[in-house]
Amino acid sequence: MQTRAEPYFKIYSLSESAVTIEFGNEISEDILQRISSFNKRLLEQSLPGFYSSVPAYTTLSVFFDPSQVAASNTLTGADCFEKVSQYLTSLKDKVQDSLTVAAPMITIPVCYGGGFGMDLDEVAEIHQLTAQQVIDIHTKNVYKVYMIGFVPGFAYMGGMYEQIATPRKATPRKTIPAGSVGIAGKQTGIYPLATPGGWQIIGRTPLKMFDAGREQPSLLKAGDNVVFKAIGSEEFEYLSH
Amino acid sequence: MRISIIKPGIMATIQDMGRNAYLSQAVPISGAMDMLSARIANICLGNDDNAAVIEFTYAGAEFGAATDVMLSYAGSGAVLKCDDKILPAERPVFIPKGSSIKLMNGQAGSRTYVAVAGGWDVPMVLGSRGTYIAAGIGGVDGRALLPGDILSSCVDISTISQRIFNSLRVDATHHAGWSLRSDTLLPDNRKMIRVVPGPEFTWFEGNSLIDFLSTPYTLSLQSNRMGCHLEGAKIGHLVKKELLSTAVTPGTIQVTGGGGMILLMADCQTTGGYPRIAQVAAVDMPLCGQLKPGDSIYFTGISRREAEMLYIERENNLDTLRHAVKHKFL
Repeated sequence: MQTRAEPYFKIYSLSESAVTIEFGNEISEDILQRISSFNKRLLEQSLPGFYSSVPAYTTLSVFFDPSQVAASNTLTGADCFEKVSQYLTSLKDKVQDSLTVAAPMITIPVCYGGGFGMDLDEVAEIHQLTAQQVIDIHTKNVYKVYMIGFVPGFAYMGGMYEQIATPRKATPRKTIPAGSVGIAGKQTGIYPLATPGGWQIIGRTPLKMFDAGREQPSLLKAGDNVVFKAIGSEEFEYLSH
Repeated sequence: MRISIIKPGIMATIQDMGRNAYLSQAVPISGAMDMLSARIANICLGNDDNAAVIEFTYAGAEFGAATDVMLSYAGSGAVLKCDDKILPAERPVFIPKGSSIKLMNGQAGSRTYVAVAGGWDVPMVLGSRGTYIAAGIGGVDGRALLPGDILSSCVDISTISQRIFNSLRVDATHHAGWSLRSDTLLPDNRKMIRVVPGPEFTWFEGNSLIDFLSTPYTLSLQSNRMGCHLEGAKIGHLVKKELLSTAVTPGTIQVTGGGGMILLMADCQTTGGYPRIAQVAAVDMPLCGQLKPGDSIYFTGISRREAEMLYIERENNLDTLRHAVKHKFL
C-alpha cells in the first residue's frame, strides 16, 4: 500500500502514434505547472521518433513515429504504447522534485472599442459598467495561457475577473478579423487568423499572433503570463507596420 | 519537369505526409487525406514517400505537360487520360511535352494523387510542403491550385527515378509494364472501418454503442478535409460530464452534444472538447480519405494492440514495395 499520495498521472493511448498523459481533472495553475515542467523535461530528453507534445488544460499528449519507437532498442515494452508509456513514467519519476518553469510575461497592446471592438459597448451594458471600466478590468489582471488550440496560435487564457465574464454571442459572426480580442464566459482570447467566431469582441491587437515565418510561429505558448495594455488607434497603426 | 494547371477541378492542393512538429501551436497535421495512395504514387517513381504530390478532388481537372514529364498517380478519385488514352495507375508513366492530361470519372472514391519524379517543388513551411488553407501555409502560396499555376519538379531526383525515366523515355506516352498494387494492402471490404474504443467510450449508452458498431453511418455534405460528419443512429450520452479540451488527431471520432458524430480528418484542429467514442485504425484512414458525401460505412471494433500491429505490418509492406522498385533499377 502506498503511504503518501502520488500526484495524479495516468497514460492512455490516443492513436497508434500518440499517447495522452492526464495530470488531473480540473483547470488549475498547479496542474498547468506540472504539465509545463514535465513537458520541459520531455523536450530536453525526448524519446526516439518523437514528433511533438501538446499541452492542454489537464493533459499532455505526446506524438511519435511508431516505426522508430518499434525499432528502438533503448525503449522497453512489448509494443509501442508500452514502450512510450514506460519511458514517460520513468521521466515522471525523474521530475518528482518538480522543477519550476519560469513563465515569460508578455504584454499585448490592444486598441479597445470602436471598429476594433464592436462588442465593447454591449459587454459594458450587460454588466452595467462604462466601456472604460470594462477596459480597466480587462487590463488589470495577469492572464495564464493554458493551451493553444482551435486554430494556429489561438491561446486559451484563464484568470479573467468575473465582473466582465460574458456569454458568447447568440449567433457567431461569419468572420472575425485577425488580432481581435474576445471574451467567452470567463475566458479571454485573441483570434490569430480571420475565422468565424462567437466570442464578444472588445478590441484588437496589432501584433501578429501567428506567423509561419517566425521561429516560434505562435506568439504565445502554454504556461505564458499575459497582460493587456490599452493603446490608441494611432499607436495601433504605428505598431501594425 | 513542368506542368501547367488548366483546370484544378473542385479542389486541388499540394500535400505530403504532413506537418508533425507544430501541434503544440495548434498547427494541424494536414497532408494527404489518403496517405497510402500518395505514398504509392511516390514509391513507384523512386521518390521519398514524403515527396510533395497533387491531391485532386473528384474528376474534372486538366493539366498540360510543359516539358517531358515522368508522373504516376494513385487513389480512386479519377482516371487519368492523356490525349484520349487511359493512363494506368500506380506505375511510372512517361508523358512527352505538349500533351494534355485530363482527370475523368470512372472510379468510386474522391481523391487522386499525382506525383512527379523528384516531387513537386514548393517551399517547405514548418517542416512540410502540405497545404493548410485556413492559415495560408504550405503548397503554392498556402492556397488551392488555380488555372495557370505552373508546377515544377525538384531538381534533385534519385538515381532510381533517373533510371526509371531513362527506361521509359520515348517520343510518345509510355508506361512501365509493372505496377504497385495498393489494393493488395487494403481489406476486401472498403466500407468496414476498424476502430479502437476511444478514451470516453464508456460515456455513452449501451444501446448507442451497439448501434455504433452495427448500423451504417452516412457521410453528410458538410464533410471536408477537416472532418467527415456522419449521419445515422444518434449516440446517447450516459455520462453528462463536460470534457476539458484536450488533444485530438486525425481518426478521432467525436460525439457532439446532439449525438451526432464527426470523424476528424487531415486538417482537423489539434484540440477538441467533445467526448471521443473511438479512434479509427491508422491503416483504415486512407479508406476514409476516399469517402464522399452519401457513402455509407460500418464500424467494427479492434484492440489497440491489433491497430498497432496492423500499422507496423502496413509499414513493412510499403518497405517491401520500396525495395522491389529499388532492386529492379539498381
